[in-house]
Amino acid sequence: MSAKSNKNCFEPEVVLLYCQHCVGDGAEIAVQSQQACGFSVRPMMMPCSSKIEVPYILRILEQGADAVELVACPDGGCRFLVGSLRAEKRIDYIRKLLTQINFGAERVGISRGPGLSGEELLALAADRAEAVRNLGANPMKKGEHR
Amino acid sequence: MIFAEWKPLEELTDKLGGFKKVLLAGCATCVAECAAGGEKEVETLAPLLRMGLKEKGFDVEILTATLEKQCEWEFVEELAELVQQVDAVLSIACGIGVQALAERFDERPVYPGVNTSALTIRQESGLWASRCAACGDCVLGETFGLCPVARCAKSLMNGPCGGTRANGSCELDEDVDCIWKLIVDRAEARGALESLAEIKKPKDWSASRHGGPKRVIREELRQ
Amino acid sequence: MTDRTISNLQRVISSGEFVVTAEIGPPRGPDPEDVRKKAALVKGIADAYNVTDNQTAVVRMSSIAASKILLDAGLEPVMQMVCRDRNRIAMQSDLLGASALGLRNCLCLSGDHQSAGAGGKLKGHPGSKNVFDIDSIQLISVVKGLRDEAVQQGGDSIEPAAPFFIGAAWTPLSPSEAFRVIRLAKKIEAGADFIQTQAVYDVAAFAESMKKAHDRGLTERAAILPGIIVPRSAGMLRYMNANVPGVEVPDDLIKRMASASDPGAEGIKITIELINAVREMPGVKGVHLQAIEAERLLPEVIEGAGLLPRPSYSDAD
Repeated sequence: MSAKSNKNCFEPEVVLLYCQHCVGDGAEIAVQSQQACGFSVRPMMMPCSSKIEVPYILRILEQGADAVELVACPDGGCRFLVGSLRAEKRIDYIRKLLTQINFGAERVGISRGPGLSGEELLALAADRAEAVRNLGANPMKKGEHR
Repeated sequence: MIFAEWKPLEELTDKLGGFKKVLLAGCATCVAECAAGGEKEVETLAPLLRMGLKEKGFDVEILTATLEKQCEWEFVEELAELVQQVDAVLSIACGIGVQALAERFDERPVYPGVNTSALTIRQESGLWASRCAACGDCVLGETFGLCPVARCAKSLMNGPCGGTRANGSCELDEDVDCIWKLIVDRAEARGALESLAEIKKPKDWSASRHGGPKRVIREELRQ
Repeated sequence: MTDRTISNLQRVISSGEFVVTAEIGPPRGPDPEDVRKKAALVKGIADAYNVTDNQTAVVRMSSIAASKILLDAGLEPVMQMVCRDRNRIAMQSDLLGASALGLRNCLCLSGDHQSAGAGGKLKGHPGSKNVFDIDSIQLISVVKGLRDEAVQQGGDSIEPAAPFFIGAAWTPLSPSEAFRVIRLAKKIEAGADFIQTQAVYDVAAFAESMKKAHDRGLTERAAILPGIIVPRSAGMLRYMNANVPGVEVPDDLIKRMASASDPGAEGIKITIELINAVREMPGVKGVHLQAIEAERLLPEVIEGAGLLPRPSYSDAD
């Protein structure tokens, strides 16, 4: 069935929004140079996970990304005190909204640092890609009407 | 502020699926204060609607605009050009704003994107609570600044019913204080407990919506 | 059927006899036989029988209709009217109708919020509008107006006056305790002739409340009847203690039920002890007995407390 084979060659595109304070030195360059297998990753560094507002993440999905993974500092480790906690609440909220429109709550998630290496960041993106594999490609990429 | 919350997104995408171009109109006053209809909420809802509609197989173009107030004709007029370009309007202002748009732009369907439900205060970040029931016969002067019409589930006027829980909350919802307990506490603190012994007569509800839709004229302000 | 303007309940209270009232819940259906069956279980054991009004916002046969069926079966009813479902127009209309049918006792209550009807297995009507046009104290005034001045709340007259013996409820242990006796005073000031209280298990606490009422001069103006619910199990007592506002159950009472070899019999013993305890308190003029969906237990309780037979009066009295 064509739908099934589509899923087999579906390579989820994961946007990785990570806080600059939860990764180790050189992580950004490292994650960009890694070979991603079965998925693609678009890393974007943020000054703090709390800077990421709900509309921003929704726009990323609206523009066609299959998934968004937020990477934040651990509880108690945020330089702006409650930033990572706020980020987590926003992710929870977006997941509920995505469920309401049948888009798949799994398309967004949040993980915690600290001191992550490039490989570790890539692994987080890989996990998120796995989580959305069964959902299929972002419907926004479809050109035709059903 | 006037308080409203989003309608379920399923309901909204059901309504909008048949249109080609829709204007999502927000309001920067009450509904912005309750995080339902301001510019930020417009920016949140627009992508959600586009994605939700696309998921159902509909390609709907969603234009956006946020007015200062949707209850003032001078601001409503600012939408005139945009409305010409669309087939329908979804307003996330309160019911007053929705009706103002529907009245001015009566050639287009105007749908509500929110349910307007209360007059509230923002107690703290993310927490809104009822304060006023617009009863038209304010008794706050006799109840130490605490409203039993809006904040008592039974709108009792003569003290609490037997349903106050041991911790002072309302039997309906343990997160809600029994307002009469708070009134009594305040009366006690002021040494005025006996003032609550006076029997309050039945309320005249005719000043509220129970008396019929209001139409008020202030002659000195008319042109 | 002779038309009496004095109710039997009123007569027993005036005579100084210790009063017994009991409660009958109307059926969730239209069959008058359901009411008659319950009536048969409890006939003769009380001076009057409360008939609840859509209690916990669960739709049941109306209090007025069920009360009339009781009246026809030879029992004296106490109709109940809550403020949740009717505005002042419907209330006054129903009161005139009730009076026309021969009903004389009316207990005026706020009523549970309509959300209470949706719980457990029941869907209820949590989406209904509530009314609460007037509160229970205002309702007492309204009934008093119909009775003593032949006047409606809005000022128009009725012809003739509608005789009623007016009741109200008291929950002395709900917060704020300081206000509860003031609220009782308001009800009596508004016209309440008799008071039935929330279930009493903590005798000492109730005695304190009675003292406050007595000190305020209330016990001679209205007949106070403490409510007593027959305990059936420790679980029931724990549940009420935790969930029913105004009900406080002492630990040793719960322990006693829990360790009883025959909880049913123990419950009846406890009920009789409670009756005897409140009987000693100045100002207590009787008891209001409830056995939720277990009216069949009441005869044993009332007989065991030495309260049978109930007085009866010929029309010559």
